[in-house]
Amino acid sequence: MRNLLGLFLVLAVLVLVPTIDHVFAAGDEPGEYIDRRVLIWNLFFRMMTVAFTVGAVVSGTLIWICWRFRESHPKATPTPYEKEGTW
Amino acid sequence: MAGHSTWPEWIYVGVIVALMFWVGAEAWNVERLVEHVPADAEVIKVTGAQWFWQFEHEDGTKEVGTLHVEAGKAYKFEIHSIDVNHSFNIHDYVVLMDAVPGRVNTVWFAPDKAGEHDIQCREYCGLIHYNMRGKLIVEEPST
Repeated sequence: MRNLLGLFLVLAVLVLVPTIDHVFAAGDEPGEYIDRRVLIWNLFFRMMTVAFTVGAVVSGTLIWICWRFRESHPKATPTPYEKEGTW
Repeated sequence: MAGHSTWPEWIYVGVIVALMFWVGAEAWNVERLVEHVPADAEVIKVTGAQWFWQFEHEDGTKEVGTLHVEAGKAYKFEIHSIDVNHSFNIHDYVVLMDAVPGRVNTVWFAPDKAGEHDIQCREYCGLIHYNMRGKLIVEEPST
């Protein structure tokens, strides 16, 4: 059942993405004069802001996890497996 | 079955999915704007060859290595190659498009100020690729 759901999800995305693309794509009407330097570099800076923010959050989370769950942490507790000595 | 609260994980997943949608939508929108050619754009045929660029204006004028255009007008490049893959690049105007044999790729731009800019090949195309350069000369509007 889950596999079927996944399959339908993939198929939906395969159909949806080209449909949305078609609907919002540039039509036959003429385009406006734009400064591609401004548009493209602004996009780049916005994307870099997102990339560095996400990168900082993810690496910060990993660093905190390593710091908090180290064996020598004052609040460290053994896992159930360690308690039972079954690993 | 998790033995702990999972709501922070779902918030995390939600934020990532929202960011991915936002990134995709922004890029999509800019791409749509950048690819939309104005109706009055003059077509310039660009031919890449080892190792120089050749340009042909709408009136049949041909130029080799140097391209003259006017500020304030839009130009649509129809780019192709007669030998190997090249890539047509005007760095100062963020114009970059592959020149592929047997295929015509298009890109447009509208220079806003008079000046000189470099044209370069950005796809390694053989021994003298490094020197496959040209000059874009943007002139003051004639009218």
